[in-house]
Amino acid sequence: MSNADQRTDVSEGSSGDEYAVSVPEGRGRDRDADGEASTIIESRDLSVWYNDNQALRSVSMEIPEKRVTAMVGPSGCGKSTYLRSINRMNDLIDAARVEGEMLFNGKNVYDDDVDPVALRRRIGMVFQQPNPFPKSIYDNVAYGLRLQDRTENLDEKVEQALRKAALWDEVKDQLDQSGLDLSGGQQQRLCIARAIAVDPEVVLMDEPASALDPVATSKIEDLIDEMAEEYTVVIVTHNMQQAARISDKTAVFLTGGELVEFDDTEKIFENPENERVEDYITGKFG
Amino acid sequence: MSGDGATEGLTRRTQNSSRELLAKAFFFGCAALSVATTLSIIGLLVYEAAKFFTISAPLLGIEGPTATLTEFFTGSEWGLQGPNLGVMPLVAVTLMVTIGSGLIAIPLGVATALYLSEYASERARSYLKPALEILAGVPSIIYGIFAVAYITPVLDAFFGVDGLFNVASACIVVGIMILPMVASVSEDAMQAVPDDLRQAGYGMGATKYDVSTGVVVPAAASGIFSSFILALSRAIGETMAVTLAGGSLAREFDPTSIASYLSLFDPDSYLEPGMTMTAAMIQLLTGDVTGGGLAYRSLFAVGLVLFVITLAMNVLSDLIARHYQEDYQ
Amino acid sequence: MSEAYEGFGRVSRRIGTLFRGVLFASTLAGILTLAVLLVYVANDAVRPLTADPGWHLTFFLTLVLPTIGVGWWSYQRSYGTLTTGLLGTVLPAVAALYAGGLAALFIDVIPTLVWLSFVVALAVPAALVVGLARTDRDVPFLAELATVLAVTVGSLLVIPGLVQSLPTVPADWMVLVLTLGIPEAILLGRWIGGRWGRRDGWIAGVAILFGSAVGGVIGMTTGLGAIPGVALALFAAVPTGLYVAIVARERPERRIGLLLPAVIVGGALAGELLVGALGFAGPESWVDWGFLTSTVQRGADPGAVGIYSGVVGTILLMFVVAAIAVPAGVGAAVYLEEYAPDTTLTRIIDVNISNLAGVPSVVYGLLGLGLFVRYAGQPTGTLLVGGATLALLVFPIVIISSREAIRAVPDSARQASYGMGATRWQTVKNVVLPRAFPGILTGTILALSRAIGETAPLLVIGAAQVFGVPNSWDSAIGAMPLQLYVWASTYASPAFYTTVLAAGIVVLLTAMLSMNSIAIYVRNHYEQR
Repeated sequence: MSNADQRTDVSEGSSGDEYAVSVPEGRGRDRDADGEASTIIESRDLSVWYNDNQALRSVSMEIPEKRVTAMVGPSGCGKSTYLRSINRMNDLIDAARVEGEMLFNGKNVYDDDVDPVALRRRIGMVFQQPNPFPKSIYDNVAYGLRLQDRTENLDEKVEQALRKAALWDEVKDQLDQSGLDLSGGQQQRLCIARAIAVDPEVVLMDEPASALDPVATSKIEDLIDEMAEEYTVVIVTHNMQQAARISDKTAVFLTGGELVEFDDTEKIFENPENERVEDYITGKFG
Repeated sequence: MSGDGATEGLTRRTQNSSRELLAKAFFFGCAALSVATTLSIIGLLVYEAAKFFTISAPLLGIEGPTATLTEFFTGSEWGLQGPNLGVMPLVAVTLMVTIGSGLIAIPLGVATALYLSEYASERARSYLKPALEILAGVPSIIYGIFAVAYITPVLDAFFGVDGLFNVASACIVVGIMILPMVASVSEDAMQAVPDDLRQAGYGMGATKYDVSTGVVVPAAASGIFSSFILALSRAIGETMAVTLAGGSLAREFDPTSIASYLSLFDPDSYLEPGMTMTAAMIQLLTGDVTGGGLAYRSLFAVGLVLFVITLAMNVLSDLIARHYQEDYQ
Repeated sequence: MSEAYEGFGRVSRRIGTLFRGVLFASTLAGILTLAVLLVYVANDAVRPLTADPGWHLTFFLTLVLPTIGVGWWSYQRSYGTLTTGLLGTVLPAVAALYAGGLAALFIDVIPTLVWLSFVVALAVPAALVVGLARTDRDVPFLAELATVLAVTVGSLLVIPGLVQSLPTVPADWMVLVLTLGIPEAILLGRWIGGRWGRRDGWIAGVAILFGSAVGGVIGMTTGLGAIPGVALALFAAVPTGLYVAIVARERPERRIGLLLPAVIVGGALAGELLVGALGFAGPESWVDWGFLTSTVQRGADPGAVGIYSGVVGTILLMFVVAAIAVPAGVGAAVYLEEYAPDTTLTRIIDVNISNLAGVPSVVYGLLGLGLFVRYAGQPTGTLLVGGATLALLVFPIVIISSREAIRAVPDSARQASYGMGATRWQTVKNVVLPRAFPGILTGTILALSRAIGETAPLLVIGAAQVFGVPNSWDSAIGAMPLQLYVWASTYASPAFYTTVLAAGIVVLLTAMLSMNSIAIYVRNHYEQR
């Protein structure tokens, strides 16, 4: 099955998608027309160890601003580790050790003077399992703003974030209800609203749709597409088609924490340079 | 690219802000308090007990009656009148209570654990486990009163006991008290036995009985054993029940004669009153304990012996339990 | 060969069945022994056989039969209906028990004026904290903290004196309405407001405030006393009413279960009226009003003594223990679960805590005696020393149970918070502690229930054999179990063992088992979520 076939199949699956027609072109295309994006995140020879196991091997790449960058690869390939090393979530694991540089706006986030907490306030994160706090919908979205004491015009900011997450219309009458009462897809959009409420520059997404049904997944994908207008999105996914649908750039990690190829999504899916990558995305292994 | 605006704020040290440090310091202080408690217990017991012994008292500037180590560990009588300061008569009765209560709690506890772990339905467990928790939750003073008011008369009817106090009733109530501990720790150990082993047993055509006794119990043996030690150490430290039930009459016990050790296993000796280490400590309190006199110092000497024994047993039980945890991980 | 096809034969299960029976009997042995002992003790304490047969018959007809009937009928409808009814019965009873204890504190221990003055003194810094949180500020945290601390200390030094020297002061019960009724009305009003809408919240708040005042008036006119009236209204009537309202509003299918408590209360009242009218004498119980409220502690006549001083002492000890052990224990648990790096020091603390939990209680008594009495120079056997000693005793227990509760908080919740750029403290405060709260509460109640059953440490720190109702930090402390020990050892005779001691056991066990059942209820309630 050729790549083009694959993508067409999927686009037909996501019923009535507005960009079903534009899929062969790749959705990154439209944005590329605006011109070359500047780099916001850059890793240089980044290696991560958990105890004695090396999870990432000397990864270097440049992630463009206000684009969607996807990381794909088989499980255990280090793609999530890479994502978590951007906002230093790996710090929470005692056994993790990082070498090399991870530059955010040109500043190495692993420098001694960088505060990981301050860093995470500018790089939001959405997790695999929707994990709203057992608080009201409103309090969930307001959580980050309150953390930073940015409580002026709170109502307005909460509304805006919920609108951006395409959730406002569904929940505007039940803001006092617990976030846990929502459906899985709504919960995940709530988590996205929570992440973007504080106006981060980058939103990291760790397989945000893998726990959701197809309809909810397509909503999240729409949302990611819109988010790229304002934010840099870095998304980890094990779903090839998803990466093809939503990303501008794709990084392929293969076993052992190695970045095998990193290029425009179209190029990766249509004409990858590396043979292993081709094998992987055509389903020969992985 | 590395404009100041872009990286501004990244180096703000929220992690080391005074609020964070204060919170962390408070939490660390709380945790450190537990270590301080242990150190105070050890320090205090050792320091005060040192004032009791002839060998160390002069170093601490203590005058007045003291006990030699020989006297303390080989004397056959206990009593501040005299004074007779042999601790072994107290240890002997404590040992009797430990043996007696263990004879009750160990078989019943293991049987309970096996029933709960292998046989009981989910519903039966949900009733039996809280009931067992209540057994452990009843205060020991109440068990003491039970022993004197209700159990001793029953013993009297069957075996004939003189007076209100005897060691046997103390053994029975302490046995009931420590039973839940044997049961719950053993049950945890049995639950930790991987299901594969049971499946292997059944696959060979074993009955439930064969699997329970031949597979589960041996596999959980070290956990079960550690529950015995833990429960017996609880029995040794038990105070109010044995004080009320056993009475406060020190027995004679000659640690140098074999006959006296044999008497620990003589059923008749359980029908007589006896004073344990803990009961002796309660009795000492009727004297002047604030002035730091002999009663006060002997209190700490007995307390030190008690602490060392129970601590050693707890550590031993912990080591054994850790051993079995490693087996199945 | 042909037999082989007739079947596989059977493996005998006889030993297995026997073995199972033995195991089951062993499991029940301990439980049944305790049950039998409890029946004996309850029989000695309450003496049901001393009542007229007519008394038993009357109550059987008015109370027991209807209760069983309605209970069975509820159970047939649904298990939930029955539990609703049972909870509706137990809740008011337990709440009234603790409201009574609280009333005893205000009657005998804390003068209401002193209470009022300290509440006012603490309200000032509390208002400051709220004010600081509301304003958009750039005040450095340390400056803020220093201000709050300074205001607290200053207000505690100045305001109590001022309030106590006021020329006119409100009556006792009004003080309680002001200091307890208003906060309760605000808290519950807000809670209800969040649940059912703002209007209902306001109505509930006003009703609570008004109800507490009515309780005071009723208390005064019925001879119950104004303070117990307010306490019962606030801490028994209000929770009961709230429970009824929640069931009525949110569980309409279970509403009918509330018939059970109604039948029980109605049956008890009807029975009481009937036996009065027919002249049937009730049992000559040792557990009676006189026993609960008499402060006489010594005397060879079992009929004259009472347990009141012990009850008040136990309540006060519980407060002191909770005030010391809970913050310290939860704090240590938070450190070990959320902060501690995996180092040797952490492992030492870890092992140390499990060993501390195994140290005999009498040794903790020695620690208290040496540390607080001999070296800190406190008098023997006071409330403060007793409370601090028991707090050290339950400290490891609180740590262990709080750690379990904190460990049960899913890691995804922490990740979500850290991913939002929360600091460790913010994560602990906003995410970990709220989610671990039910578990911590359960562990704390169980630890407190252990503390109030302890006798040996109190004896070792030199608690007096004769104690009154304590009224300051330095008062000689008594407690229920201590009272039992004094009776058991001073009047060691069968006559005493099966009379007042049985009554004392019933009172102590009622207090402890009600605490344990609250803890188990909290645990089960939140485990279902």
